Amino acid sequence: MSSVSMTSRRKPIDWWRMSGRVFLVLLLIFTILPMAWMVITSLKTGFAAMQYPPQWWPTEPTLDNYIRLLDPSQNIGRDFLRYFLNSIFVSVVTTVLAVVIAVPAAYAFSRFHFPGRTFMFFAVLLRNMFPAVIFLVPLFILMRWLGLVNTHGSLILTYLTFGLPLAIWLLKGFYDNIPIQLEQAARIDGATRFQAFFLIVMPLSSPGIIATSIYSFIGAWNEYIYAYTFLNKNDTMTLPVGIQRFFAENATDWPGLMAATFMMSIPVVVLFLVLQKYFVRALTEGAVKH
Amino acid sequence: MTTSTPQAASRQTTGAPAKASVWRSIWNHRTDYAYVLPALFAMLVVIGYPVYYTLDLSLFKTPASLQLKDKVFIGLENYSTILSSTSFWKVTLQTLIWTAFSTLIAFLLGLGAALALNREFIGRGILRGLLLVPWVVSAVAASYVWKWLYHSDFGVIGALAVQFGLSDKPINFIDNLQTGLPSLIVVNVWKEFSFAMIMLMAGLQTVPEQLLRAAQVDGASVWQRFWHVTFPHLKGVSMVTILLLTVQNFNSFIIPWIMTGGGPAGATDIWITQVYQLAFGRQRWGAAAAYSVILFVIMMSLGYFYVRSLTSGDRARAVE
Repeated sequence: MSSVSMTSRRKPIDWWRMSGRVFLVLLLIFTILPMAWMVITSLKTGFAAMQYPPQWWPTEPTLDNYIRLLDPSQNIGRDFLRYFLNSIFVSVVTTVLAVVIAVPAAYAFSRFHFPGRTFMFFAVLLRNMFPAVIFLVPLFILMRWLGLVNTHGSLILTYLTFGLPLAIWLLKGFYDNIPIQLEQAARIDGATRFQAFFLIVMPLSSPGIIATSIYSFIGAWNEYIYAYTFLNKNDTMTLPVGIQRFFAENATDWPGLMAATFMMSIPVVVLFLVLQKYFVRALTEGAVKH
Repeated sequence: MTTSTPQAASRQTTGAPAKASVWRSIWNHRTDYAYVLPALFAMLVVIGYPVYYTLDLSLFKTPASLQLKDKVFIGLENYSTILSSTSFWKVTLQTLIWTAFSTLIAFLLGLGAALALNREFIGRGILRGLLLVPWVVSAVAASYVWKWLYHSDFGVIGALAVQFGLSDKPINFIDNLQTGLPSLIVVNVWKEFSFAMIMLMAGLQTVPEQLLRAAQVDGASVWQRFWHVTFPHLKGVSMVTILLLTVQNFNSFIIPWIMTGGGPAGATDIWITQVYQLAFGRQRWGAAAAYSVILFVIMMSLGYFYVRSLTSGDRARAVE
């Protein structure tokens, strides 16, 4: 009898655990299959991709699509590599500027109790409430007035507008968690406020700065609407706009497009997987109370 | 030491500020503003000016010459035209469906994943990383990949459906009045469920282990433990997550724009694709601006809750 009650007590626990595992497996399939199909398609020739029923695995796998993208002596390769470099340039500059401007602001929002602090913090966060489209026409006209249309400056300036609030919010979460006593001790020992900030707070918040940087890099790398509107010259286009122009404008070259989307995803996915720990922490630091 | 005194003083007097002391405390804190000035200036230029410009532009209509400098003043006509058009309400309904289903499904999948990942097992970190990849890749890449998966002739999903006997011929998913919007919602859920997962995983770490064990000792079932112990601790995070997802989904553009362009026959049009078409497709800048202002008002009422839930942590800390 006792064995029956034992099993009946343990059974529901196993059931929950089992269903959890089944759920995770299904979710993983849902997540992975599209990406797997992207890679498989990118290894096919145009002819092999357009078959029904589809070749589940290419009968003659080929790297031609990738070679074409990376060969600077061909038109496609030259353009693709240019888009790639443009994307890197815009994302890196945006990231550096966002961090440099956000660090003092986040620090002030975390530490000082000046009048209007809460109001200003709201105002900064407010930016993320606006749909990007609201800013499209006015920013386009502003950029034209500044002579920045078709330049990377227009993108960098625009990306800062949504990168900054996020950066400030994320960094503030990190500063909130650094005990103020550490700085006070340094001040008592004769450090200026600036020294205390640079020698005590900055090193302690470096995980936050790394996380904020990845965040803003990925945001800039993936941005589409503004790049689509501000840039119409081949020399300045970034990847999300460039690949559209390339492969999707007339008859779609699906294997080529899949190879390009794969190449475009590599930098952010690698960056993310390597620095996952910081990234995840930053995202949750602001929202989850400790 | 001297600089820290006014700070302490202002903290004590925030409860009852007299008018004179406000100016005094601004003066006392004058150097603090230098830290936020660069950020505020950037915000002023890139928010203040566009908002002013959009409000102004919404009162004009595009002239025959298509030159912005000749725009014609028509007062509030753009607003009345939009609000009385049937297409606005159709698109609004579609936006609500898009937002509600995307948010709800993404949240539930994220919650399930967070709960299932909330114990140590081999490969947990890798699994979490893999599940997060869709959230990191660009929406442009995701849209193209899914457009290919859904392809009406050579799409792998249609082929699989045939393979498993669910359909006798390849399916046209997105170019279809009935299945268009739901198919795009699937893509959106794929893209953002892991955001909910990450937020909730962090939230789960705030649930005290002892409470769960005590409940278990008292004979609470798995479900009772979740509902009475875990869930109350997740309330704050869930609020923030749902609000962030909601805002993001109201503002969606890339997935419908790249996959269908709002078609067929406007069946997958949502607010932002509509505004974009008005402004850049049909050159009706004034109408697009008025549309944006209407959306802004709707969004602001949401934003009120958003900011409140984001800063509730601050206030709790201040009270302590």
